[in-house]
Amino acid sequence: MRPLEGVRIADLTWLLAGAGGPRLLASLGAEVVRVEWRDRLDFLRYMPPFAPGQKGQTEKAAAMDLTGLDKDKVQSVNRGGYFNDINAGKRGISLNMKDPKGRELFKQLVAVSDVVVEAFTAETMRKWGLGYDTLKAIKPDIIYVQQPGWGYTGPYVKYASYGPIAQAVSGLTEQSGLPAPHPPAGWGFSYMDWSGAYYCAMTILMAVYYKKRTGRGQYIDCSQVEPGIGMTGTAVLDHGVNGRHSQRTGNRSPYIPAAPHGAYPCAGDDRWIAIAVASAEEWQALVREMGNPDWAEREQFTTLADRVKHQDELDRLVGAWTRDKDPFALQERLQAVGVPAGVCQTAQDRIERDPQLKHLNWLIPLAHTEIGTWPVKDIPFHFTNATVNQGGPTERAAPCYAEDNDYVYKELLGLTQAEMDAFEKEGVI
Amino acid sequence: MDGFLFDVKVLELAEEQGEFCGKLLAGAGADVLKIEPPGGQATRRIGPFCHDEEQPDRSLYFWHYNFGKRGATLDIQTPTGAQLLKKLIVETDVLLDAQPGETLEKLGLDWQALRQLNPRLIYVSLPAFGRSGPWRDYKANDLVHLALGGQMMCCGYNPKDDGSYDTPPIAPQMWHAYHIAGNQAFIATVGALIGRETTGIGDMIEVPIHQAVSVCTEIDVPYWIYNRTPCYRQTGRHAQPAVGPEVQFPTKDDRYAIILPNPFPGGYETLVDFLDSKGQAGDLTQEKYADPANRKGRAFAEHFSDVQAECVAAFGMEEIWHEAQERSIPWSPIRRPEENAEDEQWQARATFTKVQHPELDESFTYTGAPMLAHECAWREGPRAPLIGEHNKDVFCGQLGLSPEELGALKEKGII
Repeated sequence: MRPLEGVRIADLTWLLAGAGGPRLLASLGAEVVRVEWRDRLDFLRYMPPFAPGQKGQTEKAAAMDLTGLDKDKVQSVNRGGYFNDINAGKRGISLNMKDPKGRELFKQLVAVSDVVVEAFTAETMRKWGLGYDTLKAIKPDIIYVQQPGWGYTGPYVKYASYGPIAQAVSGLTEQSGLPAPHPPAGWGFSYMDWSGAYYCAMTILMAVYYKKRTGRGQYIDCSQVEPGIGMTGTAVLDHGVNGRHSQRTGNRSPYIPAAPHGAYPCAGDDRWIAIAVASAEEWQALVREMGNPDWAEREQFTTLADRVKHQDELDRLVGAWTRDKDPFALQERLQAVGVPAGVCQTAQDRIERDPQLKHLNWLIPLAHTEIGTWPVKDIPFHFTNATVNQGGPTERAAPCYAEDNDYVYKELLGLTQAEMDAFEKEGVI
Repeated sequence: MDGFLFDVKVLELAEEQGEFCGKLLAGAGADVLKIEPPGGQATRRIGPFCHDEEQPDRSLYFWHYNFGKRGATLDIQTPTGAQLLKKLIVETDVLLDAQPGETLEKLGLDWQALRQLNPRLIYVSLPAFGRSGPWRDYKANDLVHLALGGQMMCCGYNPKDDGSYDTPPIAPQMWHAYHIAGNQAFIATVGALIGRETTGIGDMIEVPIHQAVSVCTEIDVPYWIYNRTPCYRQTGRHAQPAVGPEVQFPTKDDRYAIILPNPFPGGYETLVDFLDSKGQAGDLTQEKYADPANRKGRAFAEHFSDVQAECVAAFGMEEIWHEAQERSIPWSPIRRPEENAEDEQWQARATFTKVQHPELDESFTYTGAPMLAHECAWREGPRAPLIGEHNKDVFCGQLGLSPEELGALKEKGII
């Protein structure tokens, strides 16, 4: 069985930070009903990459576009590959929450749900008459999770947050990159969107467990920035205890003495290998693999402390050795003698080459009603007894817009076809 | 107030790969007992140290990652130690195992044996690459994981004009490989606890760190799957199929700030109005830019970015971002972690917490709850255990050994 079988989630989120949490819960077996409305669809539905057949904006144009998405150029909202990945395993319905009749229908959905999760701006749900008190009156043990950027209390309650903003303010951006005077390199993806998704899922799971044990629901304010702060605790302590300001250290090891420790150039276009040597055994093994060069005998590289002290020179010499080597062959050679090393892998490497990820079935084929079957990233945990995978209870990739209206409105809420037709005509569903 | 996992017992056998997951479980209210080898876990040797004194009870790393846990020492490699471990396993709900090598298997404690000891046990294993597979025996650390997982090829600095790079890909520092794996392992663990409410039996869950890290990038994988298009790393912004305009800019006080495009209708106009209110809108107020058709393409995007850069450079990092945010402009200072502790937002939400260290007669500021709940509380303490701090509670209180037996174990170096 699936661990969350029987748990139903009304999912009013979007983007990755919002929609990613329910995705994780779908993999554990929750029935996630993603609520969408055509006038303000998830931006990811308009964003490349698209499955072939889409006449949309090209990926290069999208990368340049700082002034908003050109929705009119997108022919179908069901062909976005990124949306498909983030919403796999969910059901999808259309529902106009701005319409009072829509909100009444939503209340019916709440009555048969265990969890309501949303990422609107602060007062939206309350303004719609759907605050926690209302939801609780409909379903006394409801779990209501809000996902504000900065939290729904405090002076910044109205501030906007996206992954890069949460990374910047929490300190994660500053902690990525070569030491000053280089600027921060930051993050080349929305790490805090994924983290937002993790903490949303974690929050819901903790609350579902608590409800199973006590029968009580609850309201939780699950901000996007705070989990980022929670990952910086060592630097926070170093400042509070020792008065030290945190520093960027590039790819060098800030707290565990290790050298060489970095990304070294290899043969090929923009190819690099990460090598991390801490122990004497690892150093000796590396020296042997390098063919015992004279320079490795120098006094300045004798002990770990010496190697750390002379890292600039050491990095130059190791880099000169790696520069003409094939990164994958070198990884295999170094790992064979116990030296921690790994190619800086691209998406192509992970998808087409990485034998371990293949062994772990990290991508699974999931059927999508409009674009057919495509690989989707599976959940990275492997249960022995329970059935857990990203297809979730739908055994499907992401829903097309309004794909599950019949199931939700008829089977779950008991509407007739005539009622549904009327709602559709009125612009409610 | 109860914690969320108020009746859950966790036994942790973990190096740096798994301590974050244990910390989260403790935060959520579980009773997490960390079993360390006599002399303490190797992670106690990770700096920085309290007042720079390199002692195992003074590792700030250990303090952060073991906050809220209890701690006992036990040499599980000895027959007596293994027997005591088994007794603890019988009484626990979750066994969190993040030790390199197959430590438990070598003691005869494979999954079959564990489930016989305790059919309700949820056994969570965090191997670096997997308990099977061609890379099973590979060695890694945080850097190597972020290389193989794809993070590094997404993070770094702009390429040169010819598209080639003269800077390496970058691994963001701070143990993120283990944060990612710890978050995923937490999700799996609580999922299994919920499932056990129905089935009454436990489960074994493997969370390969390499896989957890590999699924934690964003558009690079869908771009390759759907379009066979690579993404290129660029300073302070998403890796993309093309190099886009800057969003990270230096401030007057030699720090940095970030301004993201506001994708909602009117987002562009709002930003230009704000820049204009600071006398920094350049020519963007000109009539021709009112038409979105004139705001397309690379030349405009770069010009728009340059104007923002000039505005940011005219002010200090913390100076005007609040005003921008009040107007719904996604603008943020790029802070150092420690610069958040005094921020009024986090003070209002008690995001940071003061923790007492009685043996040092001092209290220090820690990062606290990652979310705000009202029915349940996130754990506020105590500080990480000293070496063997709870030996007596565990071995005498819980397992019923006499003080003499405990003394003998200590003498033999088993605890």
